[in-house]
Amino acid sequence: MEPTLKDKVEELIRENPVLLFMKGTPEQPQCGFSMRVVQVLENYGVEYGAVDVLPALQPLREVTAEISDWQTFPQLYVNGELVGGADIVEEMYESGELAEALGIEQPESTLQAAPPAQSPPLQIE
Amino acid sequence: MAISNDEVRLMIEASLPGATVEVVDETGTQDHLRATVAAPQFEGLSRIEQHKLVKQAVQTRFDDGSIHALSIKTSVPE
Repeated sequence: MEPTLKDKVEELIRENPVLLFMKGTPEQPQCGFSMRVVQVLENYGVEYGAVDVLPALQPLREVTAEISDWQTFPQLYVNGELVGGADIVEEMYESGELAEALGIEQPESTLQAAPPAQSPPLQIE
Repeated sequence: MAISNDEVRLMIEASLPGATVEVVDETGTQDHLRATVAAPQFEGLSRIEQHKLVKQAVQTRFDDGSIHALSIKTSVPE
């Protein structure tokens, strides 16, 4: 029998310790909330799988509602469990809980971009 | 269709007795709201479970289109 969409989603969740369902791709997020989660994951430097939900938005809403009782995207799964969307991910990033869930050290740097490179001192001859 | 901050607050308070709830309108259009909720019922629950409780409290107003987006911040009261 052909695997259903639900089977496929469950398999992805099982096989990717860190899995993000998002609108767009990490390179080109199509939604600010998805982009915020990508930034957190990139900042951790963890390996993660990313699924673009836009090509099958409504079916994926229905499937994730069934699996996790949650139907908005992004959705971040860690070790098979739904962690949350952008609000929860950012909150857990700031508190260090997400690093703990991922089994990594909380990085020193914050979400802000790297400080601007020091410009060379100007001199007036 | 819009909904007042107070109506959302009352729905959450009714569903989570004893909770401290603050609701603000994020965009000035009354359909993108932010709720900050501290509820004793959150004790021992994961964040996602806490958020689900808040969402469930106002689900009917999502379903009828009154609310498009609700940002949620949860905590367990000290």
